[in-house]
Amino acid sequence: MVDVNKLRETAKEVISREDVRELIGYRPGTYGFRARPAFVMGPDEAGELIFTPACVNNLASYIVLEEKLPVKRGEEPDLRKVAVMVKGCDSRALVQQMEEKAYERDRILVLGIPCTGVVDMAKVEARFPNILELGEIALEGDRFVLSFNGTKEEVAKEELLADKCKRCRYPTPLVYDELLDSEVERFADDDYSDVEEMEKRAAEDKWAYWEEKFSRCIRCYSCRNVCPMCYCEDCVLDRLQPQWMRRSVDISENTAYHISRAYHLAGRCIQCGECQRVCPVDIPLMELNRKFYKDVEELYDYEPGTNVENPPLLSTFKVEDREDFIM
Amino acid sequence: MNGKPKIGVYICHCGTNIAGTVNVEEVVQFAQTLPDVVVARNYSYMCSDPGQALITDDIEKMGLNRVVVSACSPRMHEPTFRKTILGAGINPYFLEMANIREQCSWVHEDPIAATEKAKRVVEAAVVKARRLEALDVKEVDVEPSCLIIGAGIAGIQAALDIADAGFKVYLVEKSPTVGGHMAQLDKTFPTLDCSACILTPKMVDVANHPNIELMTYSEVEEIGGYIGNFDIKVRKKTRYVDMDKCTGCGDCAEACRMAGRFPNEFDEGIGMRGCIYLPFPQAVPAKYTVDKDTCLFLTKGKCGESPKCKDACQAGAVNFDLEDEIVEFKVGTIIVATGFDIFDAKLKPEYAYGVYDNVLTALEFERMVNASGPTGGKVIMLERGKKKKKKESEEVEPPRAPDSVTFIQCVGSRDKSVGNEYCSRVCCMYTAKLAHLVRDKAPDAEVTIFYMDVRAFGKGFEEFYDRVRREGVKYIRGNPSEIYRKGDKLIVRAEDTLTSTPLEHETDMVVLSVGLCPRSDNREIIDLLKLSQSSDLFYMEAHPKLRPVDTASDGVYLAGVCQGPKDIPDAVAQAKGAASAAMIPMASGRVKVEAQTSVVDEATCRGCGFCVELCPYTAIELVEVNRMGWPVKVARVNEALCKGCGACAAACLSGSIQQRSFKDWQLLPQIQALGVK
Repeated sequence: MVDVNKLRETAKEVISREDVRELIGYRPGTYGFRARPAFVMGPDEAGELIFTPACVNNLASYIVLEEKLPVKRGEEPDLRKVAVMVKGCDSRALVQQMEEKAYERDRILVLGIPCTGVVDMAKVEARFPNILELGEIALEGDRFVLSFNGTKEEVAKEELLADKCKRCRYPTPLVYDELLDSEVERFADDDYSDVEEMEKRAAEDKWAYWEEKFSRCIRCYSCRNVCPMCYCEDCVLDRLQPQWMRRSVDISENTAYHISRAYHLAGRCIQCGECQRVCPVDIPLMELNRKFYKDVEELYDYEPGTNVENPPLLSTFKVEDREDFIM
Repeated sequence: MNGKPKIGVYICHCGTNIAGTVNVEEVVQFAQTLPDVVVARNYSYMCSDPGQALITDDIEKMGLNRVVVSACSPRMHEPTFRKTILGAGINPYFLEMANIREQCSWVHEDPIAATEKAKRVVEAAVVKARRLEALDVKEVDVEPSCLIIGAGIAGIQAALDIADAGFKVYLVEKSPTVGGHMAQLDKTFPTLDCSACILTPKMVDVANHPNIELMTYSEVEEIGGYIGNFDIKVRKKTRYVDMDKCTGCGDCAEACRMAGRFPNEFDEGIGMRGCIYLPFPQAVPAKYTVDKDTCLFLTKGKCGESPKCKDACQAGAVNFDLEDEIVEFKVGTIIVATGFDIFDAKLKPEYAYGVYDNVLTALEFERMVNASGPTGGKVIMLERGKKKKKKESEEVEPPRAPDSVTFIQCVGSRDKSVGNEYCSRVCCMYTAKLAHLVRDKAPDAEVTIFYMDVRAFGKGFEEFYDRVRREGVKYIRGNPSEIYRKGDKLIVRAEDTLTSTPLEHETDMVVLSVGLCPRSDNREIIDLLKLSQSSDLFYMEAHPKLRPVDTASDGVYLAGVCQGPKDIPDAVAQAKGAASAAMIPMASGRVKVEAQTSVVDEATCRGCGFCVELCPYTAIELVEVNRMGWPVKVARVNEALCKGCGACAAACLSGSIQQRSFKDWQLLPQIQALGVK
């Protein structure tokens, strides 16, 4: 676990630097066990920063999603660095963004958090519903300790841990300027058993399964908006000329939306799982993304977001590339 | 011209090719009902003069501004009809082809369904035609100079032709001398001309021609730009010998402490050389080269008190302080003539090449029979790896001539097991030639040839093959399975497939007629020029029949074996073809470039560079622009380089790069028209 004092001290130092414009980290939420993103603009704001297993958000998204307001005539754009706190999984989003030339490495300052796993907030809230006061979650050994309303509850780590953490290959950030704790060994390798299970199902079964899931979609676009890889200036799915998909919420357009998005993430998704986490109607989007992830790894021996030097998968071609799946 | 579309639809019968399956009359009636269609007609052959005249007349009389030709593939006649409508005064890009031949009548049998499909295809084309935009055909100036990569016979011939026509030529050769594989050969089939006698004058010519800048021992490092304006960077590797001072006397080579210690590449390892060497006496330029991989002074930093070659050189040409030189220049066209590698016989372990001294490749044997080669043209039994005689006094038994020589054809050709399905086209005839030379030089030796088929297809080939057989060369049809040693003889195990008799053939020497392979360093040129390869991995021409010397990159041409196996006359013919093709843009001074290029919406481009990596023509680069005060990178297309392949448009996640005439808003309605109604 990251020592919160060390975290705040480091943050204070970083935000005091002249070449740093802002620092993106976490601070406590307003109710329940939630934590929320913090945008620290000065050293006096660093004191409220935290890192706990409740810090689920992937802050890498903010680097690319920050709106760049027009620079006033006679003024210069503020090109100072943005500092960002990342867990292992989040750091891969930074790597992938840099592979895609979203920004240069020297534009950001990375505070790496060797991560011992975060909770699945849905699991927490199912277990402890309707907590309106602010509580806290900490990891102690193999148990999460939840303090709220003056009481303490302990739950086995396994029970509340997010699924993505159970198969995390990279708990220690792959890119950082400063590491806030000692490195963490990977917990387990990804055996793709969940994907394989899906693959085994008959086509009609799969269709029925996804038809039900997609029919729930309200097209709030949260999945797209939170995704660290969805940062086009102008999403092709929003266009009217030509209109790739209608705005109407129905099974045909919903399906087209989700499948298009999954294809746009093939070879790019770094499995932070944010899309699924924020979905208000619980569509298991990572099941789609993980199928692509597995295919990409098996077919091209490629893992997105692991090496800044890698050219993006879909912009490369090798004569030896497999093509036996092409009809 | 961009006003309300007035479309003419022209449906071709193509004799019975289309009309035999598709009810053309019905398609015409249907086309007349489509929006903005002013006229729809049919004709037996739209591409004929009267067919084209129909279109021209309608444009003039009815004021058509878009034309749909429903006929064959656009690859076939799109250029034809573009010219037709341009002649009638409308932009050539206001043409849309509806392919109802290859994609309809030829692949369907049911006339009713085929007619329905033809209607859909025509409708989709009409929908697209309504959205077509006029495009400008741009022209660029052409630098009147040519880069030729590789100075074998193909590169030499192309260089001489272009230089004689008055254009500047930069001839770049990787090895220390020009001449390529042809310089290694003794005689050439079927006329038995001495290879050196016909080649060396040309080698000297390229060195002396005022329009040719010859760069030997040099490699092309970078190629940028496009047809008419290529930017070239060449590395002239240092020879550690001052080219201006070296007289080619050879004192240095004699003085070298390591003289005769290393296999001479030019002699395929049959002959030896020292660390400073001339590949062969007629080498051009006749300048010595220090081999930096073996030279004691360069590898160990020390060569006795001082390097002997340096001491021996009276001209003071040997200079170990010399460095590589980088030369940059501009050319308008490029000819690739990089040649081939011979098949690596070790990949056929059953033939024991590299195991037994007297299993040779045909090129080694070629050096052996060459009068100026390491054995002085004598066919002798080899003792490989034997140290050079130390003392003059030591008596060494002179090597004897083989009593029998056996050739095996198709080693590494027509052989799926090594991945080469193709015929190398020269082995049958060079084997016959070598067999003849054995008859000539070792008349007592018995000569046997194992073959699969004898392909004597060229001018004078069959006659030569007959002559060699009459000389007593024994041809056995069968592909040997194994070579092994028995006593001091080699045994070739095979089956005579004409009589179905298994046989064990005893011989002194086996010559493997190895095939021609793409060069192992082919990749370097592919990366430089974005060339395509055919399935045999030789460089691919733009069209196998009609554009055999062009490549998919404008201004880049192929000559010689780098495009596929061929003999000397074919390589020379192709070199002359490539030279002539390269001279067309140089002579006209200007070329038209593709109009259906890609275009970037800089307002939405996020600068990820997918398109930059993907572009096979290096036509796209990322440039910094100012977006409301912020510096951002966006893609920008060099329209002179873009060939309109559309790879970028397919990859762009935000649809920010689009190909002209194939923009999303033009294609989507077209797809819709084809879909379920």
